Amino acid sequence: MLKVENLTHIYPDGTVALRDVSFEVPDGEFLGIIGLSGSGKSTLLRCINRLLDPTEGKVIWNGVDLTELDQADLRKSRREIGMIFQHFNLVRRSSVMTNVLSGRLGYTAPSWSLINRFSRKDREKAVAVLERMGISNKAYNRADELSGGQQQRVGIARALMQDPKMILADEPVASLDPVLAHSILGALETLNKEDKITVLCSLHFLDLVQRYATRVVGLRDGRLVYSGSKEDVGKLSDQRFKDIYGEEAQRLDTD
Amino acid sequence: MTESNQSMTKTSPLQGLLSAFIPGLGQFVAGLRARGFYIFATVFTMGGLSVWTIAQRARFPDYGLSLGIFLRLSVQAAALLLFLLAAQRLLTRFILHDPVAQTFSGYGVGILYVLAVTYLTQSFLSLAAAGVETNQYHATTAVFAAAAMAALWIWQIGDAARVGGLSSQQPKPSIGSLIFIACVIIFILGYNITGINLPKAISEYQDTAILLPRMFWPWRNAFEYTQEFEEATQKIQAPCPAGDEGPPANSPDPDVAWVSATPTCGDLSERPITGGLMLGTELTITGGNFTPGQVVDILWNNPIGNAFRPRGMGPTEITIDLDGGFSTQLNIPDAVISASTAVGAQIHTLVVRQSSEEVFTGRLSQDMILALELMLQTIMIGLMATFFGIILAFPVSFLAARNLMAPVVSPLNRIVGSGIGLIAGVWAGGIITGQIANRLGGLAEAPIQIFLAGIFAVGMLGLLGFQSIGTLFTRLTNSLGAQGTGKVLTSLVLAALAAAPGYLLGIGFSRGIRSIVLGDEVAALQESTYAIAGALLLALVAALYGMLRRSGEGVKIGMAIYTVSRTIMNIVRSIEPLIWAIVASIWVGLGPFAGTMALTVHTIAALGKLYSEAIESIDQGPLEALQATGANRLQTIVYAVVPQILPPFISFTIYRWDINVRLSTIIGLVGGGGIGFVLIQWMRLYQYENVGIAVWLITITVATLDYVSSTIRERFV
Ligand SMILES: Nc1ncnc2c1ncn2[C@@H]1O[C@H](COP(=O)(O)OP(=O)(O)OP(=O)(O)O)[C@@H](O)[C@H]1O
Ligand SMILES: [Mg+2]
Repeated sequence: MLKVENLTHIYPDGTVALRDVSFEVPDGEFLGIIGLSGSGKSTLLRCINRLLDPTEGKVIWNGVDLTELDQADLRKSRREIGMIFQHFNLVRRSSVMTNVLSGRLGYTAPSWSLINRFSRKDREKAVAVLERMGISNKAYNRADELSGGQQQRVGIARALMQDPKMILADEPVASLDPVLAHSILGALETLNKEDKITVLCSLHFLDLVQRYATRVVGLRDGRLVYSGSKEDVGKLSDQRFKDIYGEEAQRLDTD
Repeated sequence: MTESNQSMTKTSPLQGLLSAFIPGLGQFVAGLRARGFYIFATVFTMGGLSVWTIAQRARFPDYGLSLGIFLRLSVQAAALLLFLLAAQRLLTRFILHDPVAQTFSGYGVGILYVLAVTYLTQSFLSLAAAGVETNQYHATTAVFAAAAMAALWIWQIGDAARVGGLSSQQPKPSIGSLIFIACVIIFILGYNITGINLPKAISEYQDTAILLPRMFWPWRNAFEYTQEFEEATQKIQAPCPAGDEGPPANSPDPDVAWVSATPTCGDLSERPITGGLMLGTELTITGGNFTPGQVVDILWNNPIGNAFRPRGMGPTEITIDLDGGFSTQLNIPDAVISASTAVGAQIHTLVVRQSSEEVFTGRLSQDMILALELMLQTIMIGLMATFFGIILAFPVSFLAARNLMAPVVSPLNRIVGSGIGLIAGVWAGGIITGQIANRLGGLAEAPIQIFLAGIFAVGMLGLLGFQSIGTLFTRLTNSLGAQGTGKVLTSLVLAALAAAPGYLLGIGFSRGIRSIVLGDEVAALQESTYAIAGALLLALVAALYGMLRRSGEGVKIGMAIYTVSRTIMNIVRSIEPLIWAIVASIWVGLGPFAGTMALTVHTIAALGKLYSEAIESIDQGPLEALQATGANRLQTIVYAVVPQILPPFISFTIYRWDINVRLSTIIGLVGGGGIGFVLIQWMRLYQYENVGIAVWLITITVATLDYVSSTIRERFV
């Protein structure tokens, strides 16, 4: 269970990106985060695993306040929280295998990593994860030789190597075409349903939100302006969506 | 200044008048403050530079004299220029109406001005003739600087009149002319200061013409030749023994080459202290059985065994006639030991030497072998310096990369604990290494393995201390409370840490600044007082800093490390490798080790900067992604940074290797080993063939390297 309490983040230049945001995510939910560009979605997700340090507030993950942890303990908690990114954030010159294995670093002794060594179990796990994501034939290609959709699958595979209990996805399909978007979100949905991994995913399109999310929060100017269950989301009208989202909101029409 | 220009703007004489007395004042008054200021600054800078240059180069004893001369020349030039401008104005107004002709008359003014000004040189020389020695060359410079100055002054008067009449809507004219005239003045002065003298470059060309071919094609000296000599000798005694005839004259020998002289004794030539030369006894020399048509050398071997050509005494080379003989006259040359002080019979030897053709042996000459060996040494110096440079620059570059260091923020107690641990670990490592080395007979005697093991031990113990004591101290102070005892403890330890540099600063202050004022003895007497005061002061500041900090707020230690390492790198890099080589050769003595050391130091700084800039330009995404998986800093660097920076690193490294080999060819000039070392020696000995060999080898090596390195780099970029 994730509990965000009174989270505020102010960037060094004085931009207030989050203001007093509080919400809860029960285990096993698929939480959609919606909001205009610049409303603070990325900031929120990055505050949760402390890629950014919140200025104020708490992030309570399974009873532990992440904002209070020192570096060593924070790393232990981060292992349980996978993250995937809009631009995949793979090491482009490294092989797919190395990229996937690097998801395991949190569990590896640093001295082993220095000489690029992973245990046999980790390697087998990597093969299995790639198999599951359907890209095992690309294991020894360089990451930048893959298509966008395949690269995002590598990103998910890397997160899966962590044995995560929660996945934070920051606009995972924003740089992919509609068909690929469904395939990637489908993969996340499977993980959510089968592996009971909590998913927090920021999304741009209402129909994607309605199709995949079980709960939704909406941000505007760093404030939480909407919070609804799966039923609410289903009933969410285009007009209400546009209220949260602004006029640029649109449906993603795929057949 | 054409008609059309004038019709566009009203001029304002008042501003022009102001500027005539103080340059730029008219513009300033007209509201163009910056313009006025630029003009003022330019005129005074240029004037100052000119006067200074004239005083320096023309060797005037005082600036007052050169200032006076400069001003008089400027006024003369200004009068000349004004006259020419007025003439041109009249011409364009009444005679020349065609714009093209008007433009050309403008050029004419310029050319006439330059020509007329040249005549002022005479005036300068007569002005300067007041007991001061100067020459045409510097005189011309002074005159042209003054002429340009006059132009600048007149231009800015005109400019003031023009801008004074401008309304605020009109665009301001550009200050292109100001910049142009300033550039002309700088050019004139620079020409003089750098001593550029084109006529000299041509008139003295002959001196190089002799040696250039020897340098361009030095290969005769690269190989060994053998030559056989056949010598015939005749003993000569000087002075003649009392009542005797001297050594017997050789008689013709039917089998081998022979030489004979009559008489076989006589007086030495003398060179009296009063000057002149008194020729010695004239000998008639005949010989036979030489190879017809060959040229033989005539040498004189004095009683102490020095053979020389008796120049000025007769022919020193002679061509053998067709039947193998020759005959000539030779005066007995002078000797260092004069006849009056010589003891015993002074037997000289006349030598006639016939040399065979030189025979090519196919072996390299000693000089060539030396050059090749040193060229190899040169390449190795470059290689080793690059190698050590990479190893040391690599870790340093991470400390100097802003993107990696900026997020490194650590609580104060952690930093303090780790600092203590690091110092304790390094200290312990040093002690242990020192002990082991002493058992083995001292550090200088200990094998290199011990030395390396020592460095390793120091590093590992330092790291161990850094980690463990850092953690322990953090736990301890945290458990004591962030606001209470823990904070006090942290501040106290920080104060203790700060006391050490404070102590050193105190000593430095006393030895440095105070000794300048008070003299060495007094400063030394109170040195310890100042050391303690410095220690206390810094400790107090540190303690206050520790106590007054808001707890929980991290220290931006990363940025501190970044700033310090960047600064050090910039300083080291800006000191040329040649200077480092001088320092190193004082440290470890002349030779290739000094050169390697010097290049290594410079390489670390130069590569460190290139590397860290490569690190700063990486894609941050993967870094964050790995951080998010729970990887620690080291792991993120290995998996997200290293793969990204490898290609630029390889490229920069090869580039630097290239530079290092080039540098190592000249680092020998200051004693850093390699081919430069003999190059400078050969140059001083006027052995231009050998110089040529060295230059050729350097050129070939550098060109090859250039090709190889650019080929390799193409692969990686
Ligand atoms: N590094 C930064 N420094 C200062 N301000 C920042 C920084 N990053 C983001 N911001 C500001 O913080 C606010 C929230 O940004 P954030 O990236 O969280 O928005 P977002 O909802 O993810 O937008 P998008 O949909 O475009 O990704 C914006 O106003 C942005 O300009
Ligand atoms: Mg975003």
